[in-house]
Parts: sequence; structure tokens; C-alpha cells
Amino acid sequence: MVKRIVSFCIVIFGVLLLTFLLIHLVPGDPVEVMLGESASTADRMQLREDLGLNQPLYQQFGSYIAKLAHGDLGQSIHTKIPIIELIKTRYPATLKLAALSLIIGLVIGIPLGIYAALKANHWQDFVVTIISVRFSAMPAFWLGPMLMLVFAVWLGWLPVSGMESNSSIILPAVTLGFGLSAILTRMTRTSLLEALNEDFIRTARAKGLSEKTVIIRHALRAALLPIITIVGLQTGSLLAGTVITETIFSWDGIGRLLVESIEKRDYPVTQACVLVVALSYVLVNLCTDILYRFADPRVKFSHD
Amino acid sequence: MCNIENIIDSMLKKILLILCVLLLVACEDTSSETSVLETSEIHFAIAQAPLNLDPRYATDAASERVNRLIYQPLVDFDTASKPAPILASWQVVNNNNYRFTLIKNRALFHNQTPLTAADVKATYDSLLQLKDSPHTAEFANIESIQVEDENTILFSLKKVDTNFPAKLIIGILPKDLIQQGHDFSHHPVGNGPLKFVSWQNKLILQRIKDRQIISLQEAKDPTVRVLKLLRGEADLIQGDLPPELVKYLESKPEISVKTSVGANFSYLGLNMQDPLLKNLKVRQALAHAIDRQAIIDKVMVKNSRIAGAILPPEHWAGNVDLKPYDYNPMLAKKLLLEAGVKLPLKLVYKTSTDAQRVRFATILQAQMAVAGIALGIRSLDWGTFFEDVKQGNFQLFGLTWVGIKTPEIYAKAFGSQSLPPNGFNRGRYADAELDKLLANEDWQAATARIHAQLPYIPLWYEGQFAAFNKDINNYSPKPDGDWDDLAIITSSATISNHAH
Repeated sequence: MVKRIVSFCIVIFGVLLLTFLLIHLVPGDPVEVMLGESASTADRMQLREDLGLNQPLYQQFGSYIAKLAHGDLGQSIHTKIPIIELIKTRYPATLKLAALSLIIGLVIGIPLGIYAALKANHWQDFVVTIISVRFSAMPAFWLGPMLMLVFAVWLGWLPVSGMESNSSIILPAVTLGFGLSAILTRMTRTSLLEALNEDFIRTARAKGLSEKTVIIRHALRAALLPIITIVGLQTGSLLAGTVITETIFSWDGIGRLLVESIEKRDYPVTQACVLVVALSYVLVNLCTDILYRFADPRVKFSHD
Repeated sequence: MCNIENIIDSMLKKILLILCVLLLVACEDTSSETSVLETSEIHFAIAQAPLNLDPRYATDAASERVNRLIYQPLVDFDTASKPAPILASWQVVNNNNYRFTLIKNRALFHNQTPLTAADVKATYDSLLQLKDSPHTAEFANIESIQVEDENTILFSLKKVDTNFPAKLIIGILPKDLIQQGHDFSHHPVGNGPLKFVSWQNKLILQRIKDRQIISLQEAKDPTVRVLKLLRGEADLIQGDLPPELVKYLESKPEISVKTSVGANFSYLGLNMQDPLLKNLKVRQALAHAIDRQAIIDKVMVKNSRIAGAILPPEHWAGNVDLKPYDYNPMLAKKLLLEAGVKLPLKLVYKTSTDAQRVRFATILQAQMAVAGIALGIRSLDWGTFFEDVKQGNFQLFGLTWVGIKTPEIYAKAFGSQSLPPNGFNRGRYADAELDKLLANEDWQAATARIHAQLPYIPLWYEGQFAAFNKDINNYSPKPDGDWDDLAIITSSATISNHAH
């Protein structure tokens, strides 16, 4: 566990350092952004000094880390809002959207994958494969507006975009969930088909176990590891924010905040968003590792 | 196999059940959504949300447009863009002193305190003290501000500035709130026709005179804004749509589209330090290689027009005598050959990632190819693109000047004293003859000189448009894209709701 915590800290430190250095390499300057083009050189230098931007990079990074250790993420250059407040409002929105998308992806993807595997090489399998390929080929910037057109404009069932009502989340979640379900369908089908051809399945059937038990308790469990891996990776992506979907649906999540901050060279916000995203990835990876253990007791953590 | 069928059946039933529950939730919530739509708000879907509602900091177009409604400045501009009194009239005491007298029937601040000369002084004093405001430099010429009485204030300048009143366009803030360090950025208090109500996912404002609620909600994607308008989630949208979507809206009987001429100037910026572009004949060739009228006709909204200078002809400092460079690719090719350029002339054009800007770039590329110019396109994210422009890291770029009202822009954009970082002379143009004309404020001669020397290639003033549902009245797009008519807009749906 100690080893894991140490590696966690190293990853986060690496992300912070890399982000800090990359941001300083990208063309653009916060002082130029704040003062515009008409400010005098003296005013620029003064503000640069006030913000500590005239210090060497290692000193700037040191004071950034020191502030971070005290929970101070700074404030947005443009909006002057404390960044912690921005994260507090934006991240829950991303969490909510990611959770529902994941549920939709799992609820549709895994059963369809099982169904396709059980009906392998039958017409049902081909239909499922065609549907999943179709869904995975539909980009969010196309699927989103199509769903809006059908369910919001033509049928009038759901709002086009925004976050005012509870139903606002359905279309963005479906947009993301469909893509995820397509990946999960194909992964589940492949993994389950492999598992169904294993010797232990033949043994289980020979023991006289019911087909339901064979599939759910033996085959599906054996097929779970790659599915968990994919779900883990996809969850990480969802928690990092799905910029296109969030933008199309005016969903105020962390991904949109990150991209907007990069466009506007709002460096403190960019750094904070990257930190949150990195933390999300690390935590999801940790959860994935734990789930491996539950799915397959043969998987052991290093200290075991 | 029978067991497998059972498993599949059971699974499908569960999926069906979950989907039904989702659908029920959706339908249940739709009713609440409908009720939201039936309230008396006027919903305005905007492409970019305001960033900062403190007029001392705001620079983005959306913030400035909202701030014009929440606050009132001392001075604004009339239809010919001449400075006109809003909160105060003025007299020139002597070359360096301007006395402003507040009008009698001025509105109270939204916190019900009266607006006095002390508030004016406090606003500009605070602006001068701010170290991180983009507007502070504009007022560096102010020596002192004196309150003479409750309604009179004297501005003393360090040096003569005949255009000084035109600079006093910052909204006035209440003195007591400035002293308390009030957060105007997110809780603005002004004395404009609309007052701030709240700002969560959308900005909600209320009109003072009739308590009409107006909400502004960001929807970045143009297609989504159109769908919101069609669905009734938005009552009004304005600008930032590709012309095909505008035409689509014009075909919808339930939607009204109003257009007007625009005053925002689009141009092709040139790097005058580039060895090729230093040559006037090359610049003239570029000007002749662009068929502006065809672009306007095919891919721009109605009422777009060819531009000759930053300020349009109807501006008091506009130049009506500037004749546009006609489209003549053969002449362009001839000029290039005369300039000793080996064809094809390879140039790189930088632009943002905005879809309409990239579309313009590809059209320019095709048109210039006919004239023997091989235009390479670099589409960059806004931050990188604009930084490259400011740093002079470009050959050609495309940008638009938005909301320019005073002819001082010519000195800032082309004066040799305004090379970055001291001004907007992004093309690094230096011309002693032009400097003299600018110093003498001879705007007609200066614009003629700029037009002849082509430190930039003028393109067009893009037409403005607004689309709204049939219930909306009293709204027209403004030439600079401002949202001033939100102060008078009405909705017959709202009126009928009130009547009920």
C-alpha cells in the first residue's frame, strides 16, 4: 500500500511538473492576456513582478507547489473567480455525466456483447456487430445534434442543451453512452467467445452445471478482466471531461473548462484542471486494480 | 439451449425495463421543462458567455455588450460615431481640462443609491490604481480628477487630448461599493436599463422599467443555437452563424430574421518586415487576387459589404472616396512578375480554428491560386494564433476589428510609435509620411495613404443579423453587434402571460 501511495505521489508530481513546463513553453503570456496590447512596458514589468513571473522557473514551480500544499489553486486570470470554486461547480457536473454515460454504456454494451457471443455467427450476432460498429463510428459532434433534432426538436421530449432540468443530462449521456456501449459490446463478445472455448467451460458443462451458471459464473467471470480494463480506461476519459459533448450540450464540465482555459491562456485554471484530471485517472486506475482482484483472485498486489 | 434463451430473454427484459424507466424520467421532466419555457423570461442564446462584468476589466465582446446594459458611461457614441452625452455633457475648459456635468434625470444605481460626481471620480480613480486592468493604460494621461459639486467633475490631463471625452465610456460604479471591494465581476451594480439578478449556468438580468426577465445562455455550437431557437428554448439568437444556417432560418415560417449592415472590419494582416511583403507591388497583387464580392455573395450573410478602411464610410472619420481594389487575377500576376517574384509565390496564411474563418482561408487559397499565389493555411488555436500575430510570427493573417469607434485606431494600428509591445501595429508598418498625417489627425489623407500603401488588405464589414421567434418585437441587430435592444425588446408571449 505504501508503495502504491508513493507511486501515486510520483505520478501526480510528474504531471504537475510536466504541465507547468509545457504551459510555459506554449506561446502566450498571462500578463499580455491581462493587460492587453495597449499597456506600457513598465506596467507589464510591474505586473510580471507582482505575479512572480519574473522569477526563475524553478522558483515559480516551488511557490506553486507550496500554495497547492495549502489548498490554494489561485484564481482565474479572466474571471477572477477562485479556481477551487470553479472546480467545485464543474467537476460534479462531469462526474454526474460520466456516471450516467457509464451506466448507459454498461447496461447496453455488456448484455448485447453477451447476446452476440451466445449467438455467435448467427444473424443476431451480425445485427449486433453492425449496430455496435455503427455506434462506434458515430462521432459525438454528429450524434449529439442528431439526437437533439429527433428527441428535442421533432418529438419535443427533451431539452436541446443546457443544465436547467434533470432531463438535460439524458441526451449528452446517451451520446457518450452509445459510443461506450459499442466498444463494450465488441469487447464483451470477443472475451466471452474466448472464454467459452476454454477447457474449464467444457469441464463445468460436463459437471452438469446449468447453462446459466456456466455462462454467468464461469465464462463471464473469466471474460471480465479485459472488460474491466476497457471500462477503467473509458471512465478515465469520461472523468477527464468530454470536451466535444460538453460543448455541444452546453454542459459546464471540467473538460470544457480545461479547453477554454487553454484557449484563453488562463494558466492557473489549466494547471488546476490538469491536476484534477490526473487525480481522476490515478484513482480510476487504482479502482480498476482493485476490481481485478475481485474479478480474478489469481491477480495479486505486489505485497501479497 | 433453452437455458440460453431464458438468459437472453431475462437480459432483454431488464434492458427494456431500464430504458422504460429512463424514458419515464425523461417524459416526467419534460413537463417541468415545458413549464420553464412557459415562464415570462426572454431567452437569448449567445455564442460566448461574458467573462467578467466589471467594466474596469472586461475586454471580451460579450462582457462589453452586457455591461452596456447594466452600467451607464459618461459618454457613448451617436450614429455617426461621434461622442455623445449619456450621463454627462462636457465643456473644454482649456486644452488640458474637461468639465463634465451630470444630466439631471439620471437613473439611480440598482442598489437605489443616487449617482453623483463622487461615483464618477471613484470609478476612474480606482481604474487608475488597478495594476491588472487592460483599460488602465488608456487613462494614463489623466493628471487629476476633481469633484466640483455633486453634479460636476473636472478632469485634468497631463497633455492635450482632443479625443478625451470619447474615452470616458467605462460604466460608472457606486463609490461605496468600490471602497468595500465589491465583486463587480460577478455581482455587477450599475445604473443601466437592466439589473443583474443571478449568474449560474445562465446570466439572468431584469429590466428596470417593466421587470421583464432576460436570460443569456451560452450555446457555443451554431447548430445547437439554431435548434434551441426552433425548439423554443431560445427566443433570440444573434450573429455567429454560417450563412447557410441563416438561410435555413429564413425558410422557417415561425422564425423572423432581421439583418443590418455591419461596422466590424475584417482584414488580411501583412507582415511588413517580410522580404516579399515589403514590396508594394506584391501587396497590390494580393489585393487584386481576392474576389471579395464573390465571397460576400456566396458565403456571407446579407448586408455584408466590401471595406476600404477600419472605420466605415458612415463614420464621421470614414473615407467615402476609397475605391476597393477590383478582382483582377491577371493584373495580380503581372504585378508579381514586375516585382521580380518567381511564381508561384508561396505565402503562409494564419487563422484561428473557427469554422467560418477556415472556410474564408480555403476560398482565399483558391482565388489566389489563379493569380499565381500558393497560399498555405495554418489554422491554430486562438491563443497560439493571436500570440503569433502579436509577436510578428506570420506572413499573412486574418482578423476582425470589433466595435472600433474612434479614428485613433489608425495611429494605434499603423503608427510607427505603436509597434508591439507599445500598440497594435502588428504588421510592423513604419511610414514617416503616414505618421505626420496621423499626428495632424488628418483622417481622410491618412486613410487614403493607408489604402494606397496597403499595410493590410481590407476585406469586408460583415453584415449583422438576429433571428427570433414570431413573439419577439422591438429587436434589431446593431452594426457593431451590440445587444442594446435588450433594453426595449418585448415578447407578445410574455405580454399574454402577464394578461392571464
